[in-house]
Amino acid sequence: MSRNTVQPNGWVAIRLPSEVTRVLQVVPHTTISLGKYGSFPSNLLIERPFHLTYEIQDKLDGESFPRLRVVPGTELNADKLADVSATESADADEVIEPANGEELTLVDESGKVVARSTREVIDESARQTLTMAEIDQLKKEGAAAGKELIAKLMLSHTAIDQKTAYSLAKYKLLKEKKYMRRFTVLPLDVAMLGHWMLFERDGSKVMEMRQEMIGLLGCWADVHFGGLPIDGEQGPHGGRWLAVDDTGGLLVAAMAERMGILHAEPLEGEQATKEAVEDEENPKTQPAGDEADAAVADPSASPKAQRSRPKRPRKDDLDNHYALTNSITLIHANSQPNLSLLRHFDYEHSDPNPPYPYHPLFTNLLPISWLQLLDPESDPTYSEPVPEVDSDVLSSWKTNRRANYHRKRRRWARTRQIVDATLAGGFSGLAIASTMDPISVLRHALPLLAGGAPVAIYSPTIEPLTQLADCFSIGRRGAWVSNPPAEAEGKAAVELENWPGTAEFPINPALLIGAQVQTSRARRWQVLPGRTHPFMTEKGGASGYVFTGWRAIPAEGNITARGKFNNRKKAKTG
Amino acid sequence: MTKPSTFLVPGEKTSAGTLAIISLSRDNFLPLTLEKSTGAVDGYLEGATLNTRFGSYPHSTLLDVPWGSQVRASEVDTGSRGKKRRRDATDEDTPIASQDDDEDSAAANAPVKKAVTAPSGFIYILRPTPELWTTSLPHRTQVVYTPDYSYILHRIRARPGTRIIEAGAGSGSFTHASVRAVYNGYPRDAADTKGKVFSFEFNESRYHKMQAEIGEHGLDGLVQLTHRNVYNDGFLVDGKSPKATAVFLDVPAPWEAVHHLSRRKVKKGGEEAEEDSNWVSPLDPKQSVHICTFSPCIEQVDRTVTELRTLGWVDVDMVEISNQKINISRERVGVNFPSERGFNSSPADVAEAITKLKNLAERNNETNRVRALQLGTEGLDSEMDVDSTPSRDNRPLNGSDGAAGDTERLFMQGRLVHRPEGDLKTHTSYLVFAVLPCEWTEEDEAAAMAKWPCGNEKKTIGNLDKQARKEEKRKMLEGKAKSKKQKKANDTRTSQVVVSATATPTDTA
Repeated sequence: MSRNTVQPNGWVAIRLPSEVTRVLQVVPHTTISLGKYGSFPSNLLIERPFHLTYEIQDKLDGESFPRLRVVPGTELNADKLADVSATESADADEVIEPANGEELTLVDESGKVVARSTREVIDESARQTLTMAEIDQLKKEGAAAGKELIAKLMLSHTAIDQKTAYSLAKYKLLKEKKYMRRFTVLPLDVAMLGHWMLFERDGSKVMEMRQEMIGLLGCWADVHFGGLPIDGEQGPHGGRWLAVDDTGGLLVAAMAERMGILHAEPLEGEQATKEAVEDEENPKTQPAGDEADAAVADPSASPKAQRSRPKRPRKDDLDNHYALTNSITLIHANSQPNLSLLRHFDYEHSDPNPPYPYHPLFTNLLPISWLQLLDPESDPTYSEPVPEVDSDVLSSWKTNRRANYHRKRRRWARTRQIVDATLAGGFSGLAIASTMDPISVLRHALPLLAGGAPVAIYSPTIEPLTQLADCFSIGRRGAWVSNPPAEAEGKAAVELENWPGTAEFPINPALLIGAQVQTSRARRWQVLPGRTHPFMTEKGGASGYVFTGWRAIPAEGNITARGKFNNRKKAKTG
Repeated sequence: MTKPSTFLVPGEKTSAGTLAIISLSRDNFLPLTLEKSTGAVDGYLEGATLNTRFGSYPHSTLLDVPWGSQVRASEVDTGSRGKKRRRDATDEDTPIASQDDDEDSAAANAPVKKAVTAPSGFIYILRPTPELWTTSLPHRTQVVYTPDYSYILHRIRARPGTRIIEAGAGSGSFTHASVRAVYNGYPRDAADTKGKVFSFEFNESRYHKMQAEIGEHGLDGLVQLTHRNVYNDGFLVDGKSPKATAVFLDVPAPWEAVHHLSRRKVKKGGEEAEEDSNWVSPLDPKQSVHICTFSPCIEQVDRTVTELRTLGWVDVDMVEISNQKINISRERVGVNFPSERGFNSSPADVAEAITKLKNLAERNNETNRVRALQLGTEGLDSEMDVDSTPSRDNRPLNGSDGAAGDTERLFMQGRLVHRPEGDLKTHTSYLVFAVLPCEWTEEDEAAAMAKWPCGNEKKTIGNLDKQARKEEKRKMLEGKAKSKKQKKANDTRTSQVVVSATATPTDTA
């Protein structure tokens, strides 16, 4: 489970008043700048809880940095609670009131504003009388975290008294979004990362996969904690999921979150070591020498601190590296999978030798390429073992060469373990979010699934999924049994699992039942007293579709009514 | 705990005493607890038997097979058994139970008859998942369906290890989905804290049914069901805090219950309640808590949101999920298709229409000619009649072009189309989400401040404002200038060297 406070060098999402989200790593002893909303020291966030909203305050005399004030939820909600249609709006007024006690006549007036007819036309010439220069000056002063500026803006609007209560509230909200020096610190989890990628980065990088789709995919693929390893079991067992992910790791992250292997668990007794590390990094207890400088400046220097933690267990190069249960096997189309988004969860896939303690994904995520799966012998990393070298010879080698030797042997052993475990099949479920043709993926992935294992495939467009569903249409399934293609004649069900596919039967249609395609969409509403309605605009683009089904194990032989008696079947059940 | 739930640890094969979901046909699922019979059960010589309109299935044929297996129907004598019962009932007004029992027990002592495979009929046996359970469970209340609960569980951050409060267990669909989400192993003992669902149900009969279901499904220890009115009595379990970080309220008036889910004792509407040292919060004090309420009406949403906002919940967000199942079929349009259900024998395109019309015209001409020959001179009047007659009969058309249909198999013909299914669920409920951050006191802040002192910031991260950008640029330029100067010095030196180097050959030349 993710930790409940902001960690040094940990990733967070910061939501600004304009609803824009920033994702950043909280490096200790730095200044975090939020552009026009101001800046503050990163240390003011570290080890504070999530979901708090802060206000950037004015610098105190004699201090070089602004402090933050936690804005309580009740204060945040005051505006939204105020029923603007009523004559009383005392709560809202309180928020406008500037700290310096300057008299603002608007406060009293707006309190008396009764809802006007919305038809009343506001004078065309009604404008903001503050000039840009004046506004800039006020912004620089930044008094009362922007509240004063907003109050003055409203005061200086020539037609403020002609606005209806609704438009007044809207005007204030608009100005708050622009000038309030507030922000909210949110944990960066899969939901947040997905939202950020979709709304603020390039949505196409995650195949425009929305939250609804991530939820559906996880549920229909039945992804959950796959159990602890059972003592004495040598082979893979328990819950193991198969994935094909072209979303840069978002799907894998979502699955890992559901399986409890996305976040590194804090080690027992870590608290003590952590504190020691912090002392070390603390520039006040240490003279601000070059070394401290480097540690502060370079975020990648933080693993250095981790090295003081317990040593990694020594293992033989050829020992089993990967977990036998609760794992994700990722089939990818390149020599290395693209899992760049996982770095937001402190997992760097390209690092073959990360510092101990390992991230759970280091042992529970098994990447395998399509070549390794379908033709392992032509993949050199799999088929060419590194010959064992005598320990005497080994010790005579240079460190570099020795390290290389160990690395290669480890890599070979790991690939071997992955390929063997994957080919053994028996996976508990399959989740796909891929740009590849789902028919070709399923043709090779279906045989690897255990009977009854669910399949869930996401696609931003429906066409690939309709074609896939058509492969399992009633007509085709019927024809497969009653009038099988010549190539399938006389073959046992086990042989037919690896049906190579023909134009008529791209996949063995008997291997999957319950093929279904669905789409889901969340519609957001604005809920305000007297002003509740769905949002006027939403992000368009792909709604996304999910194909679901279950791996079936067809009965041997002809199963139609006129079929001959099948003695094999009877022998099997009896 | 003897055996983990098949929902969570399904194993490879079906086994006795566990739940399986039978797939009878598309969208027709049936939950079934498999039994191992030692003798005849209920008059069936084969032991416990499942009877469906797709055939009869003795449990013996369903046991110890891999999940997902297609199972053939068996020849089960259902007729005589039924008849005997009925005869008993008609012979005497009150059927003699003892006689029946005697016969049954006599039959039960006999070994189980081996099932004989029937010539037709089959089902699939699937491992239970919350999705399948949701579509097949016995309805007691409105069910929270997969599109809703998948989104809710994702949003309220229900993950392995989460402790989740659910009020209004209802039919148990959300309970099953949430237990899968929070499952991270069965607790070894009472002190072992694992992910757990704390479920509350007000209706007594539903409570008892639900309790039985939890036991049957092997979820004891993972789901703790309490019979309680949460509006009045809150969410503590045996006086202890569940330490929840996620809450799902599917009750008619969530605003009556929310004030129990607070950090400090408050009354409904946010009024400060009198201090009570015995009061315990049901929430985890160290973590943010996510809530979701599930209400069908907008008025309920209004009141819930107001109450949540009054109590200091933040990030209040309301959404509505609309889910559509998509029908995928082949649309077969063309003059060559038979005029049957599932086909449309009108022309597929303009060219086909033209061909058809031309054919018709030709045939009309032919018929006219024949008629004219037959009738001789009288034929002139009947022209109006002949116009319509041949168009009814387009069989020859089909016959002549029928070969085209044979080259392509039926399931490959026509255009692949999709459309939403006939019955749409346009509204289930409104989902209100909110977050309650943990309390952060002055002392906490002072401690954190002491640990992480400020004022020694070296670098700026994030979005740089004008000033910071300027500063950075200045520093960069400064650094560059320095290196440039050095470089210049180096350059001049190297150029000198070059000059001298080029000078040498000319010298020698």
